[in-house]
Amino acid sequence: MDNLIIEGTRQTPEINFDVESGILKLEGRSIPENTFEFFTPVLNWLDAYVNSSPDKIVAKINLEYFNTSSSKYILEILKKLKVFKVEGTEVLVEWYYEEDDEEMMETGEDYEDVSGLPFEIISFEEE
Amino acid sequence: MGGQSIYQNELDNLEQSKEFLKRNDYSQMELQLEFKKLVENYEELVDQVKIITKISDRLQKKLNKTNDALESSNNQLAELNNQLNETIDQLTEAKIGRRASTIVLFIAIGLFVISEVLLEPIIDDMFKDNAFVGLALKLVVAILIKPGEDFANKYMLKQARKKQMEEQKEKRADKKVNKKVKKKRKIL
Repeated sequence: MDNLIIEGTRQTPEINFDVESGILKLEGRSIPENTFEFFTPVLNWLDAYVNSSPDKIVAKINLEYFNTSSSKYILEILKKLKVFKVEGTEVLVEWYYEEDDEEMMETGEDYEDVSGLPFEIISFEEE
Repeated sequence: MGGQSIYQNELDNLEQSKEFLKRNDYSQMELQLEFKKLVENYEELVDQVKIITKISDRLQKKLNKTNDALESSNNQLAELNNQLNETIDQLTEAKIGRRASTIVLFIAIGLFVISEVLLEPIIDDMFKDNAFVGLALKLVVAILIKPGEDFANKYMLKQARKKQMEEQKEKRADKKVNKKVKKKRKIL
């Protein structure tokens, strides 16, 4: 199975899902014109990855801003990660936010509540 | 909604329930199971709507905050720009004032020399008995120095502003051309 790598743009996040290490990175801004088109390959990749039965998955999510439909897809990604957990994979979600970005921190907390996955909410200094 | 929708799963579930309703041969047990499935899906959808709405509102707030910060920065920038323009104007005025004073001083010296060398002998010849005429002429020249300086100052300032406006016009025209070029590049 191949890694999933999608270059980030001004409207779409960078995606780097590594089969070997189990590190799934989602970084940047997510305001695609067509969220379905952008996220469908991501969800399909996760569906296929379940069959690899990885020991551990660390999802590193560092988003500056995302639109409403992206928020639905992030929820879908977390639901897929829940499937991994049910299948016996150790799953950790690292949710990154800029230290002054209260909104993004609270959003991470909301996703933690609704997904039932272990989260680490991590702040970092503005560049 | 067609085949491509972010709510594809939910639409599929709805379609399945509709198909089930079209059947007339379901048992009580099947009906109960279908209803249970429908309630579960509905519950999940409500949870999703709640969380998505909450997140969306919060990110809207973040966007508003960013817009406010941007507006405030723009205002500060505009204020600083005004201050800069005022300072530039003051500097230009001072520079032009100094230049006008120098020019008028040279003209006054010129007039003084002319009156001493050329006019004085003529006046002395014409008004031998009256020494005040020559003095009055010099007095007129001296009195004219200040209004002359003001006039020169105003004229030069007017010219400088005209030049400034023309430069700004050229800059705006250049900007427009650059924008058009960028647009064309984007299209290509």
